[in-house]
Amino acid sequence: MAELTTLGFRPGRSLFHRLDARFKLLCLAMISITVLRAGVWGLTGLTVPGLAAVCRLGIPLRSMLKELRYLAVLLFLVFAARALSTPGTALLTVSGVSITREGAAAGGLVCWRLTSVVLAGIIFIAATRPSEIRGAVIRLLAPIPFIPERRAGTMISLLIRFIPMILNQARETADAQRARCIECRKNPVFRLKTLCVALLRRIFEDAEQLVVAMEARCYTEDRTSPRFSATPRDWTALFVTAAACAAAAGIPF
Amino acid sequence: MDILEVSGLTHRFADGTTALSGIDLAVREGEFVVVAGANGSGKTTFLRHLNALLLPHGGRVLVDGVSTADDPVHARRTVGMVFQDADSQVVGETVYDDVAFGPENLGLDPEQIHRRVTAAMAAVGLAGFEDQRPHLLSGGEKRRVAIAGILAMQSRVLVFDEPFSNLDYPGVRQVLEQIVALHRQGHTLLLTTHDLEKVLVHADRLVVISAGSVVRDGPPAATVKGIDAFGVREPEASRNGMPLSSWLS
Repeated sequence: MAELTTLGFRPGRSLFHRLDARFKLLCLAMISITVLRAGVWGLTGLTVPGLAAVCRLGIPLRSMLKELRYLAVLLFLVFAARALSTPGTALLTVSGVSITREGAAAGGLVCWRLTSVVLAGIIFIAATRPSEIRGAVIRLLAPIPFIPERRAGTMISLLIRFIPMILNQARETADAQRARCIECRKNPVFRLKTLCVALLRRIFEDAEQLVVAMEARCYTEDRTSPRFSATPRDWTALFVTAAACAAAAGIPF
Repeated sequence: MDILEVSGLTHRFADGTTALSGIDLAVREGEFVVVAGANGSGKTTFLRHLNALLLPHGGRVLVDGVSTADDPVHARRTVGMVFQDADSQVVGETVYDDVAFGPENLGLDPEQIHRRVTAAMAAVGLAGFEDQRPHLLSGGEKRRVAIAGILAMQSRVLVFDEPFSNLDYPGVRQVLEQIVALHRQGHTLLLTTHDLEKVLVHADRLVVISAGSVVRDGPPAATVKGIDAFGVREPEASRNGMPLSSWLS
């Protein structure tokens, strides 16, 4: 049996699950744009309800953080770049390279913003069926010219379907390499290369098989989409989110 | 009436290797055919021609009287395929979504899709599994999800590529029970395997493929004699001169 991944749709009957997927997608877009502009208090005001939503949806926080450890590498690089390149009061100087107070603060804020966007995405994915995400993307992209909305919807739903699979495969491939004492090789580039080559090969093979399986079941871009019907609850959620985003963006610090 | 008619079917891979060479085969509606052969004999390539995933380089394949080359979608609606690796054919994030994938592609309205999905899941004993994640199911359950996916498309011919591979004993029994029930309901079945012990007693006919050609074709009990020469193990009961027995009894 495959190991459970925390990133993916989690069936349930919570308020998040019952909201119309189009409204949830709009809320996600608003939150994502807002956090990229918000300061510390605005981010706090959005992160705390986000963490409450994670608990409400039953996503195990510890497992989620473990799944996101590769994101931590990216965040560290972002933080280091900001901390080392922003001029200001030096906190620490090694071999003529200084980490500044202002740089550390700016780097921390950027990392917090990126983490908040990821958190919002995880909540959205956990509470929305991929078929509904596909339908919502199609509906929301339809008015925009020159964008093949049906293809975009299918691509996004498949991407969401593949994320837990890729994480599982990365774990299995890493375990298989550890079983053959990869730790004895001290060169991190060699270890990364062997992991990535094996993992990418498996991902492409699986993608190829999936394409064949989809063809076998008459895949077409003109598939039946789920029907949506907006209720007052959806509009309320949208207005509440909009108000919260406006407030978060308006707080000066 | 023959629902599948294959005549002179030839297929070559991109590197020039001949995978199938002049296969002639007709399958009657409601028949249960086991296609046996060693690894690399061309079984899977043959099956992929039946629902137009591959098109003939020579000869032709008629599904319900229509050439797969002329109308691949007709072939895919009529012939549903369960792949060897059940994980690779899971498209949906939940069992319900996965079973609904085929009917959605057929453009049915949501109510009709719901009726078909519910009926297909009940038919394979998966009622109540709607919100489960397919990747977390057991091997036997995953195969049944795949079967439900093609039942929901109301395919008349069901094609199974090595359906018992990687399954434990309970998993084999679950899938075998399902296959036997589908045959009893009147579906036409084609099943490839190199392990005849599990299924042969339930089949109407055995076809043996070796090096891309049909080398034997006939009633199972008679055709299986001396099949070892083609890289397939003859069931123990047949070796000992006893009647073939079922894993379900």
